[in-house]
Amino acid sequence: MRRSLNKMQNARLPMAGMAVAWLLVVGVVIAGCGTAPTPENQDEPLELAAAMGGDTLGYARADQVREFDFPTDYGAHPDYKTEWWYFTGNLFSDEGRRFGYEMVVFRTAMAPEDTTQTPIASDWTTRQLYMGHFSLADPETGDFHAFERFSRGGAGLAGAESPPFRIWLNDWTMASMDAFNPDELFPIRLQAQEDGVAIDLTLNAIKPIVLQGDRGWDPKGAGAGNASYYYSFTRMETTGTVTIPDGTFDITGQSWKDHEWSTSALGPDETGWDWFALQLDDGRDIMYYQLRREDGSVSPFTGGSFIEVDGSKRHLTTGEVELIVLDTWQSDVSGAEYPVRWELNIPAEDLALEISAVQPNQELNVSVRYWEGAVDISGRYGDQPASGVGYVELTGYDTQQLPQ
Amino acid sequence: MALSILGVAVGVAVVVGIDLANTSARTAFKLSTETVAGRATHALVAGNGQLSDSVFTSLRVDVGYRDSAPAIEGSVRMGAPDGQVVQVLGIDPLAEEPFRSFTGGPQSNLNLGRFMGQVPAVLLSEPTASRLSLSEGSSFSVWKEGREVELVIEGFLPSDSDLDAAALDNLLITDISTAQALLAMPGELTRIDLILPDSPADEAVIQEIKSWLPANVELRAAATRTGTLDQMTRAFSLNLTAMSLLALVVGMFLIYNTMTFSVVQRRPLLGRLRAVGVTRREMVWMVLGEAAMIGTVGSIIGVAGGVLLGNALVGLVTQTINDLYFVVRIRELDLSMWTLLKGMAVGLGSTILSALPPAREATRTSPSMVLKRSTSESSTREKIPSLLIAGLGLLVLGAAILWLSGQSIAWSYLGILAVILAFACWTPPLVLWGARLMRPVLGRFFGIIGRMGASGIEQSLSRSAIAVVALTIAVSATTGVGVMVDSFRTTVNTWLTYSLEADIYISPPGDVFRRNDATILKTAEESIRTAPGVAEVYSVRTARVTIDGRESDLIVTEPRPRELEPGRYKSRMSGDHRSAMRERDVVMVSEPYAFLYNVDVGDTLEIVTKTGPTPFEVGAIYYDYASDLGLVQMTRSRYDIHFDDPLVSGLAVYVETGLDPSAITEDLRTRTASIQGLNIRSNRDLRQASLDVFDQTFTVTTVLRLLAILVAFVGVLTALMALQLERSRELAVLRANGMTPGQVGRMITVQTSSMGLLAGILSVPLGLVLAWLLIYVINQRSFGWTLQFQIDGAILLQAVLLAIVAAALAAIYPAISMGKTNPTEALRTE
Repeated sequence: MRRSLNKMQNARLPMAGMAVAWLLVVGVVIAGCGTAPTPENQDEPLELAAAMGGDTLGYARADQVREFDFPTDYGAHPDYKTEWWYFTGNLFSDEGRRFGYEMVVFRTAMAPEDTTQTPIASDWTTRQLYMGHFSLADPETGDFHAFERFSRGGAGLAGAESPPFRIWLNDWTMASMDAFNPDELFPIRLQAQEDGVAIDLTLNAIKPIVLQGDRGWDPKGAGAGNASYYYSFTRMETTGTVTIPDGTFDITGQSWKDHEWSTSALGPDETGWDWFALQLDDGRDIMYYQLRREDGSVSPFTGGSFIEVDGSKRHLTTGEVELIVLDTWQSDVSGAEYPVRWELNIPAEDLALEISAVQPNQELNVSVRYWEGAVDISGRYGDQPASGVGYVELTGYDTQQLPQ
Repeated sequence: MALSILGVAVGVAVVVGIDLANTSARTAFKLSTETVAGRATHALVAGNGQLSDSVFTSLRVDVGYRDSAPAIEGSVRMGAPDGQVVQVLGIDPLAEEPFRSFTGGPQSNLNLGRFMGQVPAVLLSEPTASRLSLSEGSSFSVWKEGREVELVIEGFLPSDSDLDAAALDNLLITDISTAQALLAMPGELTRIDLILPDSPADEAVIQEIKSWLPANVELRAAATRTGTLDQMTRAFSLNLTAMSLLALVVGMFLIYNTMTFSVVQRRPLLGRLRAVGVTRREMVWMVLGEAAMIGTVGSIIGVAGGVLLGNALVGLVTQTINDLYFVVRIRELDLSMWTLLKGMAVGLGSTILSALPPAREATRTSPSMVLKRSTSESSTREKIPSLLIAGLGLLVLGAAILWLSGQSIAWSYLGILAVILAFACWTPPLVLWGARLMRPVLGRFFGIIGRMGASGIEQSLSRSAIAVVALTIAVSATTGVGVMVDSFRTTVNTWLTYSLEADIYISPPGDVFRRNDATILKTAEESIRTAPGVAEVYSVRTARVTIDGRESDLIVTEPRPRELEPGRYKSRMSGDHRSAMRERDVVMVSEPYAFLYNVDVGDTLEIVTKTGPTPFEVGAIYYDYASDLGLVQMTRSRYDIHFDDPLVSGLAVYVETGLDPSAITEDLRTRTASIQGLNIRSNRDLRQASLDVFDQTFTVTTVLRLLAILVAFVGVLTALMALQLERSRELAVLRANGMTPGQVGRMITVQTSSMGLLAGILSVPLGLVLAWLLIYVINQRSFGWTLQFQIDGAILLQAVLLAIVAAALAAIYPAISMGKTNPTEALRTE
């Protein structure tokens, strides 16, 4: 999802990480209509392909390179089936506490616009469904807080607008703070709170926008429209507060933002992926994801990008990155076994990194379970020691949810 | 014996039937409110009746309180403008999970995209759908306030939910968007359901919500909704219950009569038993045991009959509630075990209670007196002075209870019961004197047979008096209720005549006749106002608003300038209150409102307007019989200042002088037909429709009157049978001495008809007293209405005839069977 690979040949490609989860959830929501993610309905086997392969007829398609129009493109693209705004980051307090956060808002169009039918005249009428995830990892206690919520995109309950940039799902908001210049995206304020856990963060980009794929057009497979529009801010200086039941902490740190929209669907043989967003202390960022297939092999759609300090990027192609799992952790809740420590090598760059989860339990027990967590990085780059922080997303490990 | 069982059974059946109908209506309401409230603990509602949906958005987005769900409630009619009423509940499926499970379940394949406003989608229960012959995916039309709307069945409600199947009857679940459009409530909600934490630690949350609330919005506990029902129908239900108890009282006389008869009849046996050493205590138990048996069998039959009766009555009761108070969508009989047990207990208890005096009489039987039949009769005659005194005592007691009971309806009925019992005590002496007076009269017309008939009444006073008492009470109840209803109807008719002045009345079809807050489309209103021949048009609006903390009906009128008619007002402020109502925040209240909430002219009412609670002065109390819940009336000009609601619920049209109103009525129908299906009625038609509803609300009363007569009829029948059976030897002697069967029959008929006549005559004063008490005590204390006491001679005459006919009918069987009796058979025992 957040990573795009150009020049991939295969017919269909999963968008990345949460996209599948999102569409699965939409499946669940449409099937279960907003019922709580009780263990029973989570155990309902959902056909991944069925969930992903919804009807694309009537939706706009990402079928060519387009001229991005910012700040309008920071907002929603309601004619595309799926869209998300994704923030993750590592935060540190003066007292030495650290936290990892994830805040994401997904939008899905539940039906294409139908010109033959007049919708009900009401502010509540909508084709848009919003889902939000908010999680906070607290390695000192080992606690992992995760929340999910849904809302319709009508009656002002949830929405995505720009300019000025404002995305909200009830009282969770991602909004530009520049009151004098509505066109300005930064600083962005993130606010999310539930059950005594909250973040209130201010984000300022310290690296320029990265248009993923081909000038932001990111083909996912053969055939027109099997692609997404995708851009990122890979490094944003972050300040603010984190609240947990123990108290409120002033923090500073780094965040990463992805915004992607599309109408494409997932290939039937992909079962999940491992996605890495790595921020090295020398200012370089690496995005890499690896798609796993039913037979255990790595999909040829696997890839990533290497972003220099100045924001210039280079594609990482399949086979260029070597990923070795060093350790795993089994969830008590789902029984799923997730990798939590890896060795990641990019021989062409002479880069060798060890990546470890800041705490093993970072599984989000939401409608579709997945693991999304903060990681620490150590290793070497050439003959220099390398270190950093990052975020990793692991999907498809809960076999109860994703039948092989 | 069989008849006494029947007596108990009918009495119990009436009590159980009414109780079932009452509790069913209550359960139905409770079930439907609970169904739609789900697990909500509280709700936000707007005091001015207009809850903006932005309040919910703000609660979610600004306050961030997520245990909240929007709801829109209303009702529509299926298929036709006057089709069956079904309830509509509009919800947001994504906010529902903590509250209700209508849209849940992994098996549900609800398409949110369609449901949330792309099509007018509804969910309903499968049984409801199949009863309406609708299948999934099919579309059907409903009518709302004269507009036809097409809906699509998007799916069925989960049947495996924890809800009673009946709870989902006639319920349409739809999205907020569809509900807003269907119920013509753009931008509005009915309420916002909340689940508030009940721990003191979370008090801060509640305080935060309270401090954020807009001025016109209030926080209410969910339970108060059921309370509203009790409040609205309290007087109605209580009066029904009281009426049903009347049938039981009549039944008790019957049981007393039967038991006395059974004791008297077996006096020889009892005497012999006493002689062989059976103790008095054992004899009491014997008689009571017998009563218990009759009571048990009678109660069982009665409870069964009560269920059947309840089935018939629940429709009537819910229909009445529907006409007067609110929409009832569930019309199922609720067979509450408690009601059935209560019926058994009442039947058994009253039987044993009624058997106590005969049981005591049995013990008094001294062995030597067994053959002297006259003992009992002479003892009854000896009791006459004490009966007169007891009657006087009861009358004083009754008057004292009525005097001291304040506004309590239950106590008032108890007072009335005491008055009835006082009359019951006086009946035997009156029967005695009456029979003596009638003896020469009857002798003149029927000769010896007439005189013998009259003497028979006197001689068997202990039984004949009871029969007359039962008949008198039943007939006087009929008279009393009849006179009360007639007085009521006359008053209402008079009131309608002076209230309905316009030529044509127009209103959209509503769901509750007496509280129609449906609205007329602006285009329809415009078309009416500009129609040729229409001289003047005045509007009325009915709105539900919070007044002094209670949800009440506010009537907004555009009064026609006219002479002040003091007769319309019970009291009013000095000066012209009508101009005060136009120029200042002055309202007037209806008589029941003033009564119910103890409001007087000059008092201040706090009415929740768009800006929150606003004080209004009470300028007048006016006579009104449209609502027993009370009305508050405001002028349109003040309403427009204080409320954001341009709609009207009704129009009164005056046609140009010289034009035929019926032609204009037709023209208005044609003009508006394509816009909105409106009820356009002439003055006379509306008055008739109002009186029809009035009559309909008294249907249950009429049914109860008939049942009381039935009980009395059974009573007379038993009493006469007993009387004649006891006299079989005497009759045999008469036969043996040459009396023909025809003469015997005539004598019996003369005798019973005389008893009927006595009962009829006695029932007139008692009936009038009852009517007076119902009008000036019960009605006053229940509703606060001023009614004109109206005595219709026909009703009284009917009562007397009814008594005679009932008695004469009761004579048929004894007359035939006695006439057939073979004297030798009857005398064999001598």
